[in-house]
Amino acid sequence: MSLASQNPSSLDLAYRVQSEAVAARFTKLHTRPVILQAEHLSCEFDSERGRVTALRDINVSIHRRELMCVIGPSGCGKSTFARVIAGLQPVSAGRILVDGQPVNGPGPDRGMVFQGYTLFPWLTLTQNVRFGLDMQGRSDGPADREARQWLDLVGLGKFHDSYPHQLSGGMKQRVAIARALAAGPKILLMDEPFGALDPSTRAQMQAHLLEIWRNVDITIVFITHDMDEAILLADRILVLKANPGEVQEFIEVPVPRPRRLDQFATPEFQAMRKHLDSLIHPAPSAGAPDHAPLPFIRLTQAGDDVE
Amino acid sequence: MPLFAVRREPPARYRWLLWVLAFALPLAMWSAISYVPWLWHPQVKITDAGSVAWIKPGLRLDRADFQAQVTKASSAGLVPPSGEPANPLYLPPPHAVGRALYGAFTTPPTLKGDLWLHESIVMSIKTIFLGFALSSFVALPLGLLCGSYPALSRMTEPFVDFVRYMPAPAFGALMVAIFGIHLEPKIGIVFLGTFFTQVLVTAGTVRRVDPALLEAAQTLGAKRGLLVRRVILPACLPDLYNDTRILIGCAWTYLVVAEVVGVSSGITFFINQQAKYRNFDNVYAAIMIIGLIGLATDQLLSFIGARLFGWKLTRRSRTRTFFAWLVAPAKANPSSIRV
Amino acid sequence: MRLPRLRSALLTFAAAGLAASVAFAAPLKVAYSDWPGWTAFAIAEQKGWFKDAGVDVDLLWFEYGPSMEAFTAGKVDAVMVTNGDGLVTGAGGAKNISILITDYSNGNDMIVAKPGIESMKDLKGKKVGIEVGFVEHLLLLKALESAGLSESDVEIVPTPTGQTPQVLASGQVDAIGAWQPNSGGALKAVPGSKAIFTSANVPGLIYDTVSVSPQSLAEHRAEWLKFVAVWDKIVAYLADPATRADGIKIMAAKAGVDAATYAEFLPGTKFLPLADGAKILASAAAGFGSVAGSSKIADDFNVKNGVYKVSQPVADYIDASLMAEAAAPKKAPAPKAEAKK
Repeated sequence: MSLASQNPSSLDLAYRVQSEAVAARFTKLHTRPVILQAEHLSCEFDSERGRVTALRDINVSIHRRELMCVIGPSGCGKSTFARVIAGLQPVSAGRILVDGQPVNGPGPDRGMVFQGYTLFPWLTLTQNVRFGLDMQGRSDGPADREARQWLDLVGLGKFHDSYPHQLSGGMKQRVAIARALAAGPKILLMDEPFGALDPSTRAQMQAHLLEIWRNVDITIVFITHDMDEAILLADRILVLKANPGEVQEFIEVPVPRPRRLDQFATPEFQAMRKHLDSLIHPAPSAGAPDHAPLPFIRLTQAGDDVE
Repeated sequence: MPLFAVRREPPARYRWLLWVLAFALPLAMWSAISYVPWLWHPQVKITDAGSVAWIKPGLRLDRADFQAQVTKASSAGLVPPSGEPANPLYLPPPHAVGRALYGAFTTPPTLKGDLWLHESIVMSIKTIFLGFALSSFVALPLGLLCGSYPALSRMTEPFVDFVRYMPAPAFGALMVAIFGIHLEPKIGIVFLGTFFTQVLVTAGTVRRVDPALLEAAQTLGAKRGLLVRRVILPACLPDLYNDTRILIGCAWTYLVVAEVVGVSSGITFFINQQAKYRNFDNVYAAIMIIGLIGLATDQLLSFIGARLFGWKLTRRSRTRTFFAWLVAPAKANPSSIRV
Repeated sequence: MRLPRLRSALLTFAAAGLAASVAFAAPLKVAYSDWPGWTAFAIAEQKGWFKDAGVDVDLLWFEYGPSMEAFTAGKVDAVMVTNGDGLVTGAGGAKNISILITDYSNGNDMIVAKPGIESMKDLKGKKVGIEVGFVEHLLLLKALESAGLSESDVEIVPTPTGQTPQVLASGQVDAIGAWQPNSGGALKAVPGSKAIFTSANVPGLIYDTVSVSPQSLAEHRAEWLKFVAVWDKIVAYLADPATRADGIKIMAAKAGVDAATYAEFLPGTKFLPLADGAKILASAAAGFGSVAGSSKIADDFNVKNGVYKVSQPVADYIDASLMAEAAAPKKAPAPKAEAKK
């Protein structure tokens, strides 16, 4: 299945080599029940530039407790993919099944963490995390206790009475994750959640996320444009191509688990990275304006060269 | 740091000074125009009529007319009139207005049954308050629903927009026919003057709530009523509060017409009456009273607002915590009222 | 039990209300506004003369326009209007009957012209600012007539009466028509300006009345009679040099100006004692000598200018009987005097 839509121009197939442990893991993964299924999914909408086909005929199955990343060039519809699963964006054709049930609008079985900060600024952290529980009509005491537990889990128990504006960006996204998880979703959708963070915070957050994923019964669909992030996190990576957004390849990541930041240098990682690069940044066609050299004339004096 | 820097707040120690200057500078300009004879003074106030029959002491003449009279009288061998430079009656000097302001509060009503000035002011404030409260009571919920449900907005806003352009004063006679001649029709005018604008402004503010917050809430299971009550309302409350602050000014404008509907009363009737008799020192005194009331109200509301909506700022407050508890009354939660 | 108790309470309340409305008739609600002939009623109110006369009167201070609105809406029993505006109010559906004439304008209504225009004749071909269709318009027509001119000899610029001083001062017109205090304001605003024609030239053009709704008059005639009778006391108070100053002080306070300013408006108002007024109100003679005659002229003017379409039955707007009765105290007071004993 992972080879079904392989790019024939890609000759370097090193990324397909899996160690025994990794292969065994994937075999086990495929035996798990399918929790999320996209069938002939298409999504079109009107924008200022006319009618846009964001997604066309997407067919994907994701198993329970899988961590899948979606990657692709900008404009490939990867955000739309997350929004469609969340029920925030209507589909034009096909359907989404969660645990066998067709999706019809947003619901608490699919939590979402957004790129922008979406904590409710008028609520304390506890009240934010409790929000989903309140919507389910849970009584006060237990809801409060549970919210605290989730805050403890993301390491922010001390700040339970603070307000979002008192937190840093990374802390806000941790609360957002806690809030989404507290509502008890089957699937956690994450739309470039660490995109706005600085590199060191981002690395920390990636480690946090893996930690949470290990300990919580949750299936994660993670949207990113960062290839390293995708390889570090994902079991499988769904590569989309732009205009219209179609599946280019659905790849099993050969990097063994548990993942650590120092795996960047391993051959599996590098092979994977090289392959993604070739998919997302194909060799530039001649004369493309983005790659033409800048028409500079020299404005500095001789001997004042910096390189 | 320089005091005047583009887009840079001045140092805190200068802020009070700047606030005082905001009032001192216009007052200084007004004083200059009033007391420096060569600054404006387009007229001449007669001190001695000379022998021109129709000129009386105290009369104000345009300078050119005065000169013409002087020349005419001189050439006829008569005593020319004399006078001093003066501003038009429409611009009394600060001390006259100050005296009128003081006198207005210290002079008891001449007639039995008439009101002290402060009683008239209380009556005006009552009219404004009731009219505005009534308007807010209906317009805020309606605006919230219109801003939340586009279908409802399409069903109501065209008509609201249509009525909004009708001049509220034109309904004076109708208000009297329905509500009688005392305070009620005046409250009705203030209501009509503010209500329709308030609905549209409220709906507009509600529509500006960050859609990402709504989407986040939806993925957490919030639907329809809960979405409106638990997300849209608290998210736009600080802005609605500010809108309300601005719209109160709107209500004051309608007070002027409201107070000549039915039995004449209140501070703006006083203005109309005194303008009719050309007592402009009294007119400006009353206008200043209204300005002071407006300024005081606004400062108070802004002070309360900063306390209520601390989450918009960096400071926490008891009032706000209490308010958060009010907005989320579904379950009394002891931990959320603890500060 | 709650319900019966509530019901009995309501019944008691209703019964009490009914009894109250029978036992104490509601006060006569009279709307008045700033015109010397009407402001003078404040004297009676301050001195308690209505109470002395045994009639409960609620005098309500209005702007002139809103006072007519309140009467039209049926919120007051009587309104003080000019005889011409009484017809306009009646034609608009609020029938009213003049039971008292307080005065006629004797100079307070003026045509004020800017310097250089000495008489009505000079106005030929000039612009005149006036509120079209109202009483000042009629004054202008009479003024033009007196100078052998007609309406087509001047250019009329529609101007709200309250703005006439500013409009004249701005030089957009050569003359304006207004009543006090606007006419006085115009004279002050434009130095050297002159009143070239006033209501004193046509006494009786504008009569000022107390006009009552037919229903109130039918139901409370005895009380209205007492109300009318108080008028002579007011006129006497203002005529007596010993009390005149106090009367003017009260009127000035009501109008919100100092007494000296207000005193200037009094000579332009010819106060009519009951005996004089009764004759003018009762007479059916044509011309300005009677209210009927003056109203007839106003009616023709109103129809011609499209103020209203159907000519009004002038006689229906007048009930001179109350003035006549009140003015003849020597013959008729016997039963009253006995009743007092």
